Amino acid sequence: MRNVNVPRDGVPVTQAKDVAADPSLGKKFRLRADVVIVGSGGGGSVAAYELAKAGLDVLVLESGRYYPSSRFTEHLGDSMQLIWRDQAGQVNTSADVVFAEGQCMGGSTVIGGCVMQHPPDWVFQRWVDNHGLADLAPEKLAPYFNQVGQEQQVHVNESHEINACAHKVIQGCERMGFSWQPVTRNVKRCALTGHCLAGCPSDRKMSALVTHLPWASAYGARMFADTQVTQVRTRSGRATGVDAVVMDPDSGSEVARMAVDAEVVVVAGGAIQTPMLLQRSQISDPSGQLGKNLAVQPFTQALAEFPEDLHAFRGALVGVQVDEFFDTDGYFFYSGLAEPEQMLAQGYLGAGQDHIDFMKKYKRMAALNAFSIDEGNGEVQWEGDAVNGSKKIKWNPGRSEFENVKRTAALAARIFFSAGASRVYLPTYQHLAVDSVFDLDQTLDQVDYGLNGMYTFRMNSFSAQGTCRMGLDKYAAVVDPDGECHETKGLFVADGSLFPEPMPAPPQWTVQVVAKHIANRILERRDGLFIQGNSA
Amino acid sequence: MRQQDFSDRHPSFMAGLEPLSRRGFLRGSVLAGAALSAGCARLLGRKEAPEALEYEHLEPNEVRTLRRLTEVLIPASEGLPSSIEEVPTLGNIDSMAGKMPPQTRELFGLALWVFERRPMVSFSFTRFSNLDDDDALEYIRSMQQASFFERGLTTTLKTVVTLNYWRDERTWPALDYWGPVTEKWGVTRLGNAPLPRA
Repeated sequence: MRNVNVPRDGVPVTQAKDVAADPSLGKKFRLRADVVIVGSGGGGSVAAYELAKAGLDVLVLESGRYYPSSRFTEHLGDSMQLIWRDQAGQVNTSADVVFAEGQCMGGSTVIGGCVMQHPPDWVFQRWVDNHGLADLAPEKLAPYFNQVGQEQQVHVNESHEINACAHKVIQGCERMGFSWQPVTRNVKRCALTGHCLAGCPSDRKMSALVTHLPWASAYGARMFADTQVTQVRTRSGRATGVDAVVMDPDSGSEVARMAVDAEVVVVAGGAIQTPMLLQRSQISDPSGQLGKNLAVQPFTQALAEFPEDLHAFRGALVGVQVDEFFDTDGYFFYSGLAEPEQMLAQGYLGAGQDHIDFMKKYKRMAALNAFSIDEGNGEVQWEGDAVNGSKKIKWNPGRSEFENVKRTAALAARIFFSAGASRVYLPTYQHLAVDSVFDLDQTLDQVDYGLNGMYTFRMNSFSAQGTCRMGLDKYAAVVDPDGECHETKGLFVADGSLFPEPMPAPPQWTVQVVAKHIANRILERRDGLFIQGNSA
Repeated sequence: MRQQDFSDRHPSFMAGLEPLSRRGFLRGSVLAGAALSAGCARLLGRKEAPEALEYEHLEPNEVRTLRRLTEVLIPASEGLPSSIEEVPTLGNIDSMAGKMPPQTRELFGLALWVFERRPMVSFSFTRFSNLDDDDALEYIRSMQQASFFERGLTTTLKTVVTLNYWRDERTWPALDYWGPVTEKWGVTRLGNAPLPRA
């Protein structure tokens, strides 16, 4: 019987400073493992846990830094600078849509708003019907959802987790006759600080940093932070390992080069980073779909000013969701006003005394984040060589997508006016605010599509997906139903990039479920995958 | 509805930006002249203000633009710390610039370059950093309502500046924002979650 001890606090992670201080490693070193996992977020951490638990020698490589929760300061500005990718400045090619992503041990699970949503069954039934993914049928995934739900302490918000911001949304929905419900979150005994986006310093958010990573480590998985994988190595149509660079996270300078030999490579860098790694590695892709079909689930935030003080930033960050339009239009809305920095994601902003007056209304503000489903027409491309090249995220809204964003912004504004808002600040690049619901449409009409919808609405994406889509047909999909690249044996993808169609729900729960499924498939096929016989 | 329409107050105000295309031919010569003067100044040994030396990642000309933008966007106000003297807004931006990927850094530099020189067409050949307070404010406001490119540029720069001011906890009492509370409330850390039962 194995003696398995989870560390009480933190995760044993080798960092750049450890590599620099270890003369035995030098400037170039080589490691071997049964499985190397690229990325330590929702997908990578679950895969690491499942595979290590089964006795495989697992190595996890994370490009971001290791920032344990004991160091979180509850300053969003600090977190953005240290653990959000590109300091929350990862943008599309026209630089008007922000793609938020965690870049740290635990990835986006560390900086997310804790929202866990089980997508409706029809989503997975479409995956079965349209892409031949019989193993992902709703009834087959149900046990995985239950398992992840328990591991993640997913629960429906209780009344004390509904803050003033959420109450305003409820009030508005009740008056409009819109359906709403408390959000399900992965939090254990929430301390109601409202600092989710800056990272939870008391370990109540069930991020990978306090769940699957320490559990994987307890089963022997090794982990490196500050390690950027530059390419996946292949030979004769098989993955044989990865090459990586260990970088100092503060200076960006190279500390050492690492080569890892492994018979199975699992890439779980998310829908932006994963396809770029596969492109850099020149992975054979007969489908021509690698990096394409990027769906971004664009969201904007309507900010409403009320006559009374709300202090809506207090309490659980996300309280309720509006699900009235979920099945009909693919729209969904979450209440949530975060730190003052969030106010700066508005187009209104103002200048001079106007700006200061705007900021001083923070305590009277409530926010509703309005998501819509897009068509998945974006693309991610890596240009240049493996180390010095650059990424290109190509996504701008099409006309219908633009109209959807506009409609969700309008609905969010209406909900707030029904709740008694005295003004709603519209999420546009123009300086627009509305003082009456009767002026709303006219004001929104000032926002026209223009050139590719650029610089119209201040859109963000927290949920990129679809860039290595999964499917039975190797001429239509990048990975097969096991998550393995169609033409490269032993190379798996385990993140949101393999969603075959845009999904109208926050993806974390589904990503974790799919990663569990893929880990299980690797284990079921271990005799064929680990041909050197070194698996446990 | 409250939508600020500056053309009411200044009939010709919005037109201040409009002539860009009509006077496009001027732009090249103006900018070439500016570049030449900057080059001559360098050749003649004019030194940048010592304050520029404080910043590791920002160029002196970028510091000049950002300093002026910070002063105008976030002027002195009762109950708030100074955006220049007390809160290290520029220092924060400098640090942010140092961590930007090369591509983003290049774009940021270009954005500042354009923002600094754009008023030369509309404000008597004056750069942004040389505009007086009223003109600088008018310039920012009109840029916010101008073409998609100009409002994008302005919004981005405004966001960078204001973010690096309001992230400082000395600004929070004025907002009645509680800031970090975990320690203050004595919230205990739970540590890692226990291993799930098999």
